[in-house]
Amino acid sequence: MSTQTAVAAARAPRGLLAWVATTDHKRIALRIVGAALIFFVAGGLIALVMRSQLADPGAQLVGRDTYNQLFTMHGSTMIYLVVTPVALALGVYLVPLQVGAADIAGPRLTLFGHWLIVAGGLTMYSGFLTDHGAGKAGWTGYVPLSASQGTPGTGMDLWIIGVLLAALGSFVLGATVLATVLKFRAPGMTMLRLPVFSWTMVATCLMVVMIFPVLVVAMALLLAERHLGGVFDSAGGPITYIHLFWFYGHPVVYVMFFPFLGAVAEVVAVFSRKRFFGYRPLIVSLLIFAGGSMSVWAHHMFTTGQVTNQYFSLTSTALAIPAGIEYFDILGTMWGGKISLRTPMLFALGFLVQFLIGGLTGVMLGSPPLNYDVHGSYFIVAHFHYTLFAGSMFGLFAAIYYWFPKVTGVFLREGLGKLNFVLLFVGTNLTFFPMFILGYDGMVRRVATYPSSTGFQGLNIVSTIGAFIIASGIAVFLLNLVLSLRDRRPAGDDPWEGHTLEWATSSPPPRFNFHALPPIRSYAPLFDLRHGEQR
Amino acid sequence: MKSTQSDFQHVASLYGPIALAVFVIVIGTILFIVVRFRRRDDELPRQRTGWPLGEAIYVLLVAAIVALLLETTFTTEANEDKVQADPGLRVQVTAFQWGWRFTYVGQRVSVLGDNTQPPILGVPTNTTVQFTGTSLDVIHSFWVPALRFKRDLFPKRETSFDLTFDRPGLNLGECAEFCGLHHADMTFNVLSLTPRDFASWLSDRRRPRVPGGRRR
Repeated sequence: MSTQTAVAAARAPRGLLAWVATTDHKRIALRIVGAALIFFVAGGLIALVMRSQLADPGAQLVGRDTYNQLFTMHGSTMIYLVVTPVALALGVYLVPLQVGAADIAGPRLTLFGHWLIVAGGLTMYSGFLTDHGAGKAGWTGYVPLSASQGTPGTGMDLWIIGVLLAALGSFVLGATVLATVLKFRAPGMTMLRLPVFSWTMVATCLMVVMIFPVLVVAMALLLAERHLGGVFDSAGGPITYIHLFWFYGHPVVYVMFFPFLGAVAEVVAVFSRKRFFGYRPLIVSLLIFAGGSMSVWAHHMFTTGQVTNQYFSLTSTALAIPAGIEYFDILGTMWGGKISLRTPMLFALGFLVQFLIGGLTGVMLGSPPLNYDVHGSYFIVAHFHYTLFAGSMFGLFAAIYYWFPKVTGVFLREGLGKLNFVLLFVGTNLTFFPMFILGYDGMVRRVATYPSSTGFQGLNIVSTIGAFIIASGIAVFLLNLVLSLRDRRPAGDDPWEGHTLEWATSSPPPRFNFHALPPIRSYAPLFDLRHGEQR
Repeated sequence: MKSTQSDFQHVASLYGPIALAVFVIVIGTILFIVVRFRRRDDELPRQRTGWPLGEAIYVLLVAAIVALLLETTFTTEANEDKVQADPGLRVQVTAFQWGWRFTYVGQRVSVLGDNTQPPILGVPTNTTVQFTGTSLDVIHSFWVPALRFKRDLFPKRETSFDLTFDRPGLNLGECAEFCGLHHADMTFNVLSLTPRDFASWLSDRRRPRVPGGRRR
């Protein structure tokens, strides 16, 4: 043990203090993931209640007011408390390792970010304990519905404060990960030797530091509107809020996508035994994508009649070009490789197939004549669940199955992993595909119920069955987690023959990550070490 | 005469097949790769880390598709957004929590309904009907799925759009922007009538003749 680690070990807090006050980026990341997992289960249970209600037209399993709280909290949970924090947590854990750093930049700040998100979540959920219930104006909180007249009650205030805290927390996490890449890279780790995953985190964090302050401001203004008035109550007030919201709200879609794309890229390269193909085009595409994402927000506003639709249609549709490059490079990596279909690779392939459906329907939504019809309908619900659940969550599972041996030193069960994949794949498509048809047939989103005369019931039942299959898939995953940690099957330091520096250290890595680093001469230093450098 | 359905169909008939083709090609490629390049031995595959020419051609191809899509979108949308100076009929739409009032401008006819009893919006077929809409409280959205068109209605603002109804019949209208407690029930019915039937429908509801009730 080096002097540095010995001193740190002696000073390290123990017990409860260690649990709340660790400054080890790896532990902080696990804590963020743990909190997100709890919120994920809560948000998922809420979804099951909603799906149960919608299986039957005119159902009153929960009342309309409760239903409105539930869908608001489902969306808010998944976006503010689950997918965004987990996306950033991947960076908090892996970026210092991938760039060969001993620690993250600003570990205390990072820890603070985590606790802000937890505080935000608890604040948001505490709304259920108030007279009027939790926030119920949707995860977007449009004014004037979210103003004091539209939604009276403390629950709505708690929702706003919760979002504000979680947004601050996410902002802080993004900033420390970005600073780590910029300032803490090991000797030899130039920006053009940064692993693909770390590059996706750079693009992600650039967006995070640009957009989350806008969300914080929007929430602060909303709070001021509710208690002081006069902020959004002019004729232009509502549209101003919508602009502010989506200026955050669209780029955050890519915040919740890029890290998982990066994880999938790493998994695909490793399980194809190939160096990543098209490294530089991919980086350029990521940066163009991140920049472009800042100019597309008003495609959420085509039906308002108050934005220049053609401009936002142009910028939004043009994002198909960098997205196309990303697919080209990932498929190019697999091409000519030696592919093993282990669980991480299955999830990576699931991500590619299903995200494509989200992406292609996204191109359709970028066209106002199509958007005029399906905006605000279940088509949209299907679309963004294909990106966020069928896409990002499958990418997350690829990441979990891939990096679990690094984080814990043991494998997750392969058989249960495959079962987990099959259940999720079947459940996801059963749940969300019917929603495209429902939306096209005229089913509005955010409805607590629908009349039987609409003929929507059949597809809604399919969707509800799918939701419970998803739930069984998640249960299998949790079982796998528990079993694998109890009855441990040691994985060694580098079970997959990884390409990047995190596989050059022990599993789990020591407090300061590395005792020694291999030479870094490309974006795949361990591949170089094993197979020789590329000419 | 413009029709929002045919505008939608025009664009969808381009986007749909292209999306399907891209999907089939990408999925086909992935399946091919997974079958063809399965790991069968421990030998390291040939490492190729880029194909600049191929990728450049591919990017140009994607850009060309994007340009094609946008060209159709732009021309169609320009047509769809146009409002006529002298439409055949003007209807003022007032949305509120949780109902609608449709006022037939210059006709002394107004129809009102809410979530307990949705109103009927009578319209003549093959006539340009110009809607001018606003909201009394929160944001609502006027959606007729059969027409493939919606427009959001904001408080303190007016927005106008032209619609045509090509055949007689009854269609569902819905509020498509979440607006609170009874959002799910904020519907209306669109009754499209031949111009002659519409004229009598309208005169039945003209104010001085029919006192009381919901017909004001």
